[in-house]
Amino acid sequence: MKRKRYYNFKLDCFGASPLAMTPLRTVSLRAPSLVSLRAKRSNLVSSLRAGSCEAIPLLKFLYLNIALFIFLITLILFSNPQSAIAQDTLEKIKSSGEIVWGSDAEGGAPYIFPDPENPSRLIGFEVDLMDAIARELGIKQRQFQNSWDSLIPTLERGDIDIAINGIEITPARKEKVAFSNPYYIYTEQLVVRAKEERVKEASDLKGKKVGTLSGSAAQGILEGIGSVDIKIYSGQVEPYKDLSIGRLDAVLLDLPIAAYYAKPNPLLKFTGAPIGEGYYGIAMRKGDDRLKEEINKILERLFKSGEIKNIYEKWGLWNSSQERLISGFGIRDSGFKEPQFLPSESLRVLSFLPFLLKGALMTIIISVLSMILAVFLGLILVILRLYGSRILSILSTAYIEIYRGTPLLIQLYILYYGLPNIGITLNAFTAAVIGLGMNYAAYEAEIYRAGIEAIPKGQMEAALSLGMRRSLALQRIILPQAVKIAIPPVTNDFIALFKDSSLVSVIAMVELTKSYSILAVSSMKFFELGLITALLYFGMSYPLSLFARRLERRLKRGLS
Amino acid sequence: MIRITELHKYYSDFHLFKGLSIDVERGEVLVLIGPSGSGKSTFLRCINGLEIFQKGSILVDGGEIHGLAKERLSAFERDSIRKVRLKVGMVFQHFNLFPHKTALQNIIEAPVHVLGLDKKEAEERAMSLLKKVKLEGMKDMYPENLSGGEKQRVAIARALAMKPEAMLFDEPTSSLDPETVGEVLTIMKDLAGEGMTMVVATHEMKFAEDVADRAAVFDKGEIIETGIPEEIFKNPSKERTRAFLSRVLDR
Ligand SMILES: Nc1ncnc2c1ncn2[C@@H]1O[C@H](COP(=O)(O)OP(=O)(O)O)[C@@H](O)[C@H]1O
Ligand SMILES: [Mg+2]
Repeated sequence: MKRKRYYNFKLDCFGASPLAMTPLRTVSLRAPSLVSLRAKRSNLVSSLRAGSCEAIPLLKFLYLNIALFIFLITLILFSNPQSAIAQDTLEKIKSSGEIVWGSDAEGGAPYIFPDPENPSRLIGFEVDLMDAIARELGIKQRQFQNSWDSLIPTLERGDIDIAINGIEITPARKEKVAFSNPYYIYTEQLVVRAKEERVKEASDLKGKKVGTLSGSAAQGILEGIGSVDIKIYSGQVEPYKDLSIGRLDAVLLDLPIAAYYAKPNPLLKFTGAPIGEGYYGIAMRKGDDRLKEEINKILERLFKSGEIKNIYEKWGLWNSSQERLISGFGIRDSGFKEPQFLPSESLRVLSFLPFLLKGALMTIIISVLSMILAVFLGLILVILRLYGSRILSILSTAYIEIYRGTPLLIQLYILYYGLPNIGITLNAFTAAVIGLGMNYAAYEAEIYRAGIEAIPKGQMEAALSLGMRRSLALQRIILPQAVKIAIPPVTNDFIALFKDSSLVSVIAMVELTKSYSILAVSSMKFFELGLITALLYFGMSYPLSLFARRLERRLKRGLS
Repeated sequence: MIRITELHKYYSDFHLFKGLSIDVERGEVLVLIGPSGSGKSTFLRCINGLEIFQKGSILVDGGEIHGLAKERLSAFERDSIRKVRLKVGMVFQHFNLFPHKTALQNIIEAPVHVLGLDKKEAEERAMSLLKKVKLEGMKDMYPENLSGGEKQRVAIARALAMKPEAMLFDEPTSSLDPETVGEVLTIMKDLAGEGMTMVVATHEMKFAEDVADRAAVFDKGEIIETGIPEEIFKNPSKERTRAFLSRVLDR
């Protein structure tokens, strides 16, 4: 299982399908950074208009930044996360009387999720399991919320004692953390539309569009089949939603997810035998051997007493595979075969580069196309707003205010997941370009407006007095001057758009940020890959920002 | 050639013109004098359709603008205003040259794009006008590199390039350095000598006396008297004119 969240708002507007009844998908938003970004941009526009953009001593500024960067890197490299946790965790939890377990309630059912009847309460089979384990330990349990991707780093940091959240036991993860014996054997379940005839098993998937979650075991299996058109999603609801409206031919995901989200949907059906097999384990810090031993004993007791079986049956998760966990197969340490779907040797970081570069290329393509759309649509919007008939002017103003006043993420969601409800089904790429482009068009329109309003009224009057029509005066006299003023802030917006383009990963686009998170989650190399990804972004935006600065300087000279 | 009848102009609640009427004959040079804020600029801007007015009509050589109370005009109204603008050229106090175009490009802009002249013909016309305003050497200069007097002369040439039948000047020398005022007035005097119909708002009393056929004295949105400039200056019939003149002539 793999769930990824960027944003922090609840979304339950997916119409009346059974999927919409499931607990809210929740995502978490970097609102502050977006807000400050917009603020910076509008400052830029106004300071430009005032002609007061002081030239920053460039070199000094650069040195300062480099120094700060080196300082931070050193800090990160030399701070040993283990040093924070001197105590043995078992002792610590016994003396504090509480075990803190990390999981992501935003990920969804049936693992851990807000109770639909009482959303402030968390339920799920892992909550039940944790209750039982804590009881056996004779202490209380407390859930610690964090995004799923970050659970293992959080564990390493020492914020939590253990992590339980459908974390597959993989070689890469085992390099970072210790795992308990498996507590669940999962398989991958193929789901197709109820009327589907062509796809009966995994081998039929060649050339088909198949949805899965990023970084999941299922993704590995699909890649293994070859020539499958894999669509990567961030949440469990959307792939099934897209499958039911025909954007996908099939979805391959962990059985617990399929059981909860797809099985109740009459438009969908299970097909083929369960594929692959893997194990969920409880993650602990390396070196916590006593805790691991204790938890393994408790798991053994709970399996033998049948309590775990009861829990799994309650959630519809029990199947014959799990019998092997009772019969002692899982209880003997490491008596099971390693899952084969993820890189079994730790790959060198550079070997990830081609994948990241592919993501970067997608980022560039999406950014460039949506910027082109934004530049032209923004121009149309501002002309309608300033010079159109009253109705067009009101409509254009409303467009600008609505797009600036709502989060880009919601706009993307509505465009991609909402429009199919009224019969408009865009593919992910189109939705990404249109979504970003339409959002940025509102900002570009405002930049143009600032530019146009910075042109003295006398210019338009002189043009009119020479007998020009307003449209000709705009085209020949006003816009050429306004564009000059607008170019630097528009270029700055383009840089911002490069970074905002990472948001489109929520509609199943794999661009640079998504590529990073896919690789980082499966390889556990958050730090190294993070640096490379940051460098790639920097490499794309820095030339643009130099370009913007040059233009700004030239413009200032031109206006004096 | 220009007939203003019963002009009423409001700036929101402020009733500036309360029924102004005046005729300008073909070939006549009319100067508008009066204290600042008395309505001279507004009057000129109404004639050129840059300012809406609420009642009355302005007739320019057959073209006509009627009282228009609304902000957004219909296509028909815009078109009739444009017809008037094609007959009268306008020169502004602050020149309003197009900063992204050279002197020559400023002048040929409208002839090419409004009248549809081909570029060559427009350039020939522009060059002869630049010669007339004594700036033929400056054709490739951008406005930012011209002095105030030079800018205003280019602006005059730009308006003349449309071959207007009348010219409106709104304080054409008020934002100039004193030493460049003369070169602009000389051009205007030449123009008057060629028989151009001109309406000039100005504080240059000497120019008014030497060049104008008639002066109209504005005060608080009214024309309080009209007459031959020389006579008005010597012997104003209204106390308000006398007060204004003593302030200006004292300087
Ligand atoms: N855009 C405007 N809005 C409101 N009042 C204005 C506007 N333009 C001019 N006025 C007023 O109209 C009067 C006449 O102004 P104006 O025509 O500029 O006079 P003049 O050119 O003789 O100095 C003044 O009282 C001025 O305050
Ligand atoms: Mg004035």
